[in-house]
Amino acid sequence: MSDDLDLIRGTLDLFILKTLTWGPMHGLAILRWIEQVTESRLQIEEGALYPALHRMEQKGWLDGEWGVTDANRRAKYYKLTAAGRKHFTARLSLWERYTQAASMVFSAKEAIA
Amino acid sequence: MKKIFRLPFSRDRVRRDVDTELSFHLEGRIEELVAKGMSRADAELEAGRRFGDRAHVEAEVEQIDVTTHQRRALRERFDGVGQDIVFALRQLRKSPAFTLIAVLTLALGIGANSAIFSVVYTVLLKPLPYRNGDRVVRFAESMGDGWNNGITFGDYHTWKTRQTSFEVLGAAWSQSPMTLTGVGDPTPVATRLASADYWKAMYIPPARGRYFTDAEDREGGSPVAVVSYALWKNRLGGDPGIIGHSLTLNGQERVVVGVASPEYILGPPAEQVWIPLAAPVSRNDDHGDHEIAVYGLLREGVTVAQAAREIGDLQRGIAAQYKDAWVSQRVQVQSLSESIVGPQRTLILTLLGAVSLVLLIVCANVANLLIARAAVRRGEIAIRAALGASRARIVSQLLVESLLLGLAGGLLGVGVAIAGVRFLVTSPVPVPRLQDVTVNAPVLVFAFSLSVGCALVFGLLPALRAAKLDLQQTLRDGGRETSGAVRERSRAVLVVGELCLTQVLLIGAGLLIRSAILLSSVQPGFATNNLLVANILLPSARYPAAPEREAGFQRVEEAIAAIPGVQSVGRTMIAPIHGGGWDCNVFREGKDKNDPSAVDANVRTADPSYFATLGTPIVRGRAFTSADRADGPLVAIVSQALARRLFGTADPVGQRIANCIGSNTTPAWHEIVGVSGDMHASGLDQDAPPELYYPTSQFVNQTNSFVVRGAVPVTTLLPSIRRATAGVDPLVALSAVSTMDDAIGRTLALPRFTMWLLALLGATGLILALVGVYGVISYVVTQRTREVGIRIALGAANTEIQWMLVRQGLILGIIGTVIGTAVSLAATRYLGGLMFGVTSHDPLTFGIVAVLLVLVAICASWVPARRATRIDPLVALRAS
Repeated sequence: MSDDLDLIRGTLDLFILKTLTWGPMHGLAILRWIEQVTESRLQIEEGALYPALHRMEQKGWLDGEWGVTDANRRAKYYKLTAAGRKHFTARLSLWERYTQAASMVFSAKEAIA
Repeated sequence: MKKIFRLPFSRDRVRRDVDTELSFHLEGRIEELVAKGMSRADAELEAGRRFGDRAHVEAEVEQIDVTTHQRRALRERFDGVGQDIVFALRQLRKSPAFTLIAVLTLALGIGANSAIFSVVYTVLLKPLPYRNGDRVVRFAESMGDGWNNGITFGDYHTWKTRQTSFEVLGAAWSQSPMTLTGVGDPTPVATRLASADYWKAMYIPPARGRYFTDAEDREGGSPVAVVSYALWKNRLGGDPGIIGHSLTLNGQERVVVGVASPEYILGPPAEQVWIPLAAPVSRNDDHGDHEIAVYGLLREGVTVAQAAREIGDLQRGIAAQYKDAWVSQRVQVQSLSESIVGPQRTLILTLLGAVSLVLLIVCANVANLLIARAAVRRGEIAIRAALGASRARIVSQLLVESLLLGLAGGLLGVGVAIAGVRFLVTSPVPVPRLQDVTVNAPVLVFAFSLSVGCALVFGLLPALRAAKLDLQQTLRDGGRETSGAVRERSRAVLVVGELCLTQVLLIGAGLLIRSAILLSSVQPGFATNNLLVANILLPSARYPAAPEREAGFQRVEEAIAAIPGVQSVGRTMIAPIHGGGWDCNVFREGKDKNDPSAVDANVRTADPSYFATLGTPIVRGRAFTSADRADGPLVAIVSQALARRLFGTADPVGQRIANCIGSNTTPAWHEIVGVSGDMHASGLDQDAPPELYYPTSQFVNQTNSFVVRGAVPVTTLLPSIRRATAGVDPLVALSAVSTMDDAIGRTLALPRFTMWLLALLGATGLILALVGVYGVISYVVTQRTREVGIRIALGAANTEIQWMLVRQGLILGIIGTVIGTAVSLAATRYLGGLMFGVTSHDPLTFGIVAVLLVLVAICASWVPARRATRIDPLVALRAS
């Protein structure tokens, strides 16, 4: 069911991109942000976050840069690039159309003759 | 892409970074959980559970990062080259004169060379189209002096039955044209006899059908024919169903068994028919008549020399057996390509040599330009180095610039080559195979790579030097060169070299031009203008023997003579320039053919009006008359050259001579009745050969060559002549019709063509040398702006300044000319056979070319010199 995986991975990418529209963050901060806004309703396997981040870095959607946290520890901060922002906008509208269509299907009340 | 400071890539660093990143994550989670009240150990477990397989994630991320780094490095390299290209283009645009000259030089060199080499290749060098072309040999026999490609049936038969060196030995024999009837108007068709083995030796798959079988190539074999591709296309409508159909040739039906390959051309005409040789058994012992052309296909692994030894042994055996006959003592075996290319070797080598010289000049010029440019740019390079550009970067930028120049020149050169080939193909010079010339791709690639390579090498040397600059020194000098002498000298050497090479080219071209002029002023010994030559063949069915033939020819001659506008008409067996007639030894009465006083002379026939029509004087005695009848006393006319060789200063008229014609045993003595003026009958570049004439009535041939002098332009008479001929006999047709001027033009075509090619190459060289000298002097002017400014400020006259600079060009010119003259003296000796009437050290040619080159050097330096006099001293001094 690779379609499913693609869907889930694509979703994770979208979450990350959306999160980073708020500003540069390290991986853990991204997770916390998602947990916060979803009120921890989504169980993300945390390890999967990093391949996604690095892959998007490779594609030029994110810029990774080492920085120092408030607690004075080295962490890798990710920043949305212009290309990443553009990609996010495009994917988001696609996603919205898809979910709209999907919810129309799932919420259909009666069979159309 | 924005470049930021980044540490160099290493796998260890990637691993460490990934580890740090993931540890930070886990550590952050653990602290979070501990803060919520979990024990440290539980927190670690819980964080690990949430994270999943850490080792796996680490490996995956590492791999992604490695790939990212590799891609980025690659992209940056491309970006760097891209930047270099943009930069180079900007630099080249900034100095359009330099760019234009360099690109044009390269284009001219690559293009002209490729075009000319393409022509040389197709016309002279292209491999033979036969399947085993490298193993095909041709034979020649010698009776004493000179080699004769005509082999006797007897020799051929003996070799064929005893040899072991060849897979096959085949023979062919050119015949008089046969008349093709039943397909449109009756047409004469060039005819060759060919043995079945001939086709095996010279094999190219036939276009249709097949070649002869052994059964057909036998006396009494079925009458068959193979037609040439051109005959099939032009006369037979290219009908694919022709195989198995009959053609009527000289009244006999022959079944067409094959159409030869279109590539199968052993000399014109393209329209030919082959019929089986069917070597007559009765002639297996004929070792006297040298008639057939013999070709052999060497067995694999047998060398030409081995085969020659074997055939030589066989021939000595034959000579020992037949002491009396005219048996050849020696046999020559020569590879077919050698026998075709061999006579043209000087020509080929000359053209190839000239092409190489031009290529050398091109390289010298490009080197020159690039060295000059590097010098001009010292300042700029020093500044860039000072600003932190690495050496590698500077060198790569200069190289990219050279490469761009080379590529641009190369591309334009391809265009020049195509245009050049088109120009040469449409040139009015009739050269065989010229129409087939196409741009020769390997040569184009070679010239292209050479030029780009040249640009790279000469771009690299100055680039490396520039990169080693002593920055401080150069910047302090204001970018001007303090040690310019070395560079100037190397450029001067290059220019002198160019001038010298150009001189060799021009002298070669000049010698050939002089030859061509002298050649066209040769008096041929007869009036060539307004003279038409046409052959007539009388089919043997209706004209079986001498009396009918001679009567037939006379009727045709009378019909032509009666046409208004025809001033005069005469007959011979073969007209001068059109062939050599029969050649065999002529001897005085009381001697025999083997006597040392015998002279190898062309034998032709002449009718009473022949000499008068040609305009050749009878200097002693009389011309033939209608009283010299077949049954009358045998008479002859000798040319002055033959008279001199046979009789010295004595009067030949009244003496009797004989030759091979007539009887093999008792000589047929002819009394000399007249002496004719000499004719350059074998071509204007040949001495007038000794010639012997018999009356057409006493030596009758199946073909006669008619010479017609018009009172009006003779080509306008052609339709009337055809009508008159057909009026005598509708089965008789004219063939090989041409004016004498055209025929002579054809013999001069190749020398003229060579002359033109050399002249073109010489002109190319001259232009390049001009550019070279101009470049050097311009550079000197730039370098000495300050000095010139001071001189002007101090009141030097314009002429003084100009002379100071022109003198430099003049010195270069003189040195180049002196060396060039010496080199030319050595080189032109190899032109040998291509020259006519001039020596290889013709003072006139050498003088004119030397003066021309020095003048060019002066002109080329005068232009920048004049510019120097307009230097404003204030600007010049302030600029430094």
